[in-house]
Amino acid sequence: MKDLRYLLEFENLLEDADNALVRQAQADGQYAIGYTCYHMPEVLLNVDNCFSTRIRAPRSTSIDIATYYMSNYTCEYARSLLERAIEGGYEFLDGIAGVDACSAMNRCYEHMEILKCNSKPHFFVTHTDVPYKIEEYTIDQVQIQMRLRLLDVMHEKLGTDTSDEALLKAVEEHNEMCRIMTEIGNLRKLDNPPVTGYEFHVLNLVSYCCPTALILPKLKETLEEIKTREPDAKSAFRARVVVAGSEVDDLDFSRLLEEAGALIVGDRYCYGSTPGREVIELNENEDILRQICRHYMKTSECARYMANDKIQQRRDTIDRLAREYHADGIVFEQMKYCDFWAFERPLASHILQEEYGWPVLSIDRSYNVRGSGQLRTRFQAFVEALEIKRIQRAKEVI
Amino acid sequence: MGVKYPDPKFFKYKDHIDWKKQAKNLKEIGGIVKDILKETDWKDAGKSVADDVKAFAKRASYEASLLQKMSAAERKDFLLNGEKQLGKLYRSGKMATVRREWRGLKDTAADYYEWLRMWGMLLGTFSKDLVPALGGAVHYRWMISYFCCHSFMDKNTLGLRGKALKMHHELIYAIFRYVAENLVLLMKGDEKVGNSTDLSKKVVLLDEMTMAQIMAGFPDLIGIPYQLMPVFLLSEIDQLACEPYIDAVESYGLPSDTCPVPTSECGACVIDALPHLGACFISSSMPCDGSVMASSYTSRRFKDLPTYHLAFPVRYEDESIMDAAVADIKGCIRFIEEQTGAKWNWDAYFAAMKRFNQETAYELQKWEVNQTPYPQLIGPCYELFRKWNYEMDGGIDPRILKTFEKVDRLMKQAYENREEPWRGKMRHRAIVWSVPAHYYANFSNWLANCWGIDVLVEMESLNFTKPLETEDHEEALKDMARLYERMVMRRHTNGGYDHVLTELWRQVEAWKPDIVIMYQHVSCKNMATLNGLFEDQARERGVRLIWIEHDLMDPRTVSRKDMRSKVNEYMRTVMREEPLDPSLVDFEDDASW
Repeated sequence: MKDLRYLLEFENLLEDADNALVRQAQADGQYAIGYTCYHMPEVLLNVDNCFSTRIRAPRSTSIDIATYYMSNYTCEYARSLLERAIEGGYEFLDGIAGVDACSAMNRCYEHMEILKCNSKPHFFVTHTDVPYKIEEYTIDQVQIQMRLRLLDVMHEKLGTDTSDEALLKAVEEHNEMCRIMTEIGNLRKLDNPPVTGYEFHVLNLVSYCCPTALILPKLKETLEEIKTREPDAKSAFRARVVVAGSEVDDLDFSRLLEEAGALIVGDRYCYGSTPGREVIELNENEDILRQICRHYMKTSECARYMANDKIQQRRDTIDRLAREYHADGIVFEQMKYCDFWAFERPLASHILQEEYGWPVLSIDRSYNVRGSGQLRTRFQAFVEALEIKRIQRAKEVI
Repeated sequence: MGVKYPDPKFFKYKDHIDWKKQAKNLKEIGGIVKDILKETDWKDAGKSVADDVKAFAKRASYEASLLQKMSAAERKDFLLNGEKQLGKLYRSGKMATVRREWRGLKDTAADYYEWLRMWGMLLGTFSKDLVPALGGAVHYRWMISYFCCHSFMDKNTLGLRGKALKMHHELIYAIFRYVAENLVLLMKGDEKVGNSTDLSKKVVLLDEMTMAQIMAGFPDLIGIPYQLMPVFLLSEIDQLACEPYIDAVESYGLPSDTCPVPTSECGACVIDALPHLGACFISSSMPCDGSVMASSYTSRRFKDLPTYHLAFPVRYEDESIMDAAVADIKGCIRFIEEQTGAKWNWDAYFAAMKRFNQETAYELQKWEVNQTPYPQLIGPCYELFRKWNYEMDGGIDPRILKTFEKVDRLMKQAYENREEPWRGKMRHRAIVWSVPAHYYANFSNWLANCWGIDVLVEMESLNFTKPLETEDHEEALKDMARLYERMVMRRHTNGGYDHVLTELWRQVEAWKPDIVIMYQHVSCKNMATLNGLFEDQARERGVRLIWIEHDLMDPRTVSRKDMRSKVNEYMRTVMREEPLDPSLVDFEDDASW
């Protein structure tokens, strides 16, 4: 296939947390609010004079200092972010919208505060409480937290307009982004999709990491380009997979998997498009903030939600994606040392395999997987297994 | 009118034992025994017995020679105050100590009296419904480990003398009475064993470490911490007992870096080691990320058990989310009512919380005494009792108040007399921080006996002490939420670093220790993520931290010997001290309970 016009530019934007579009927005007087977790409604960070940037630590190598602080058997993602923060990599941020969802990330934010990793006088870190289940009173809880611990802080520190009108405007822009990403994502359902999993990963990540207003026109253009893009007559891929599990912001992960011959057609992981790129449907009868909070809670696929209905939702979502996107199998991945996904992965992998009938590759992995020969071998073996299954199925039909 | 706890009728409900199933199970057990007998190398077994006899003779002659070599004064001291070399009680490769400790005439007599009293209580309790209890022993491997609860009592009182010994016996007796009663009820209600459906309808199962206070409002029901007996307490009695659980769930795919507590609970589900009973299950998000996830394994294993997820806000100092916490408690009460038909009883709840408040007042007095230069009630039994009373008893059992009163009397007498729990041994005052491992490794005891390091208090004891509301209903629910949010571990590990990092420096100020025993649980992400800050800030403040790695009930990661060697090295190289009891510096106890 012909290269996408903006692909290189997008890849370059993902080389740094403080990328060119972030700098441009800040030069225009906007404030950058960093966040990591889906429990923090992205749209609330794009209100008025603020824009969200989902923080990453691209090109991480040594994380020795963070390891001194957080020990060597804790989430590498959290440690990589801390290392980058200590190096000064998040000096550009005007605030961090944190949620107290998992201990590793919460401690990471705390270190950023204690070690004074950002010297801006108005810099703030929020610690909002998020629930473990969805009830009317937990929606109240999130609504209160988002108002008191986030919007009021943004208003106080940055003079942000957090009125309903401002929220509505942010939702409209967010929804436009979601429609574009959903339309691109839906093209992966085709037998021979005009977009690869790697490319989609790039597009999706820039939509998280760059100011929405600045990246939106380029994504729009990219959508039009993909619509008319001619896929290769014969696909280079040998199998189609859905990737599910914990946080993946490492493009090398998708690259490695697709190099092994598996086309990623579904992305049900944190920093992926499910959840994250669903349109927020609003009605006029209810408080906007409450509706936003409910949307994020309902669409969340976080393993931290412990209620049985959410556990079932997680399994059903993976199954639905695999069916809708015509996947041959599922790669269930987990960031090493992540407690939530460590428990979720084995149980869900067994259930998806034994009860839903999906071939599942269950893996734990580092934050950065480049050069992982072990992972490459496992991916290759899985692709071969899927191919064999397809051949066997075809024989049965004959 | 006195309230009997637990309600005697719980023990009298009719059992519906399926004798055919019992016979089938016994046949299977018989087959296993037959295989064992067949595969046993009798020559080797004979050699092992001969070795034991030789070792016994060697030890007896060594001990006799020691006695002979003693001067008259030493012999008198031995007779009155007991032995000084406790390391010789251990023998490499053996589960039990070679014998019980000689504590001097008076204390040995007191100790044996308590030993007998414990046996009497255990036999009395089990005979309330003996058949299912015995049946349980051939269904569940973990039941067998409870046969060594006397050994647990012995190891946790090692080296103690005088009133401290009596206090520790009182406390451990109360705990084991609770354990015995719950074991009987678990086996009576379990479908596989007693199958008492009437009892089962009255049982509310509580998730790991979920506090019991909510059950105080349901006097017609009984709350049983589901995994306490098959997993948690079991591992403290016998550290090796949870290894099969851990192996099972790791074979299933769970990574080995998760905390062994939820790991073992999940493993217990995988190998079907949990009894099947109860009207419902109260699952909980407490205290940590691992516990949240373990509930999905339990739900999966017992699909027919209606479950309520009791999940409080993490940022518990934030009163703006109190309404959600109260709503959750109300939801839980409603759920229990729906599942059991029982009605919430405010009078019963308030009566129990009044007791709990009194117990908390007694607890504060202990802290006051222990903060003086003459600490009295310190050591593992006290620490375990505090945890158990705060979490599992919660003022529900009226008998416990009597235990508090008795211990309080003894403690005050001991304080008046300026007694030392480990007589003549105290060199250092320490507090324990982070996830403690003293029970598994008998560590506080060893610290005191070997190096004279007296642990005054541990992190997990320092919880919520505000008296709970006992008049106003809404305020009472808020207090219950505050209490639950500050449960053991959660109080410190949730809600921000201030609760555990800065809190340590506040406690150092209050208790004035010269050493902080810093347990480094290698699988606890919540604590591990603060390692560097503890180091930095301890150095700034001149506080001595002795870091001791451990992995709770998985000694294969860090053995007890490795844990002790950390202290040995520190005391010799940094403190330049010699041990009080050199026989305890290096000994083998890897296979012991």
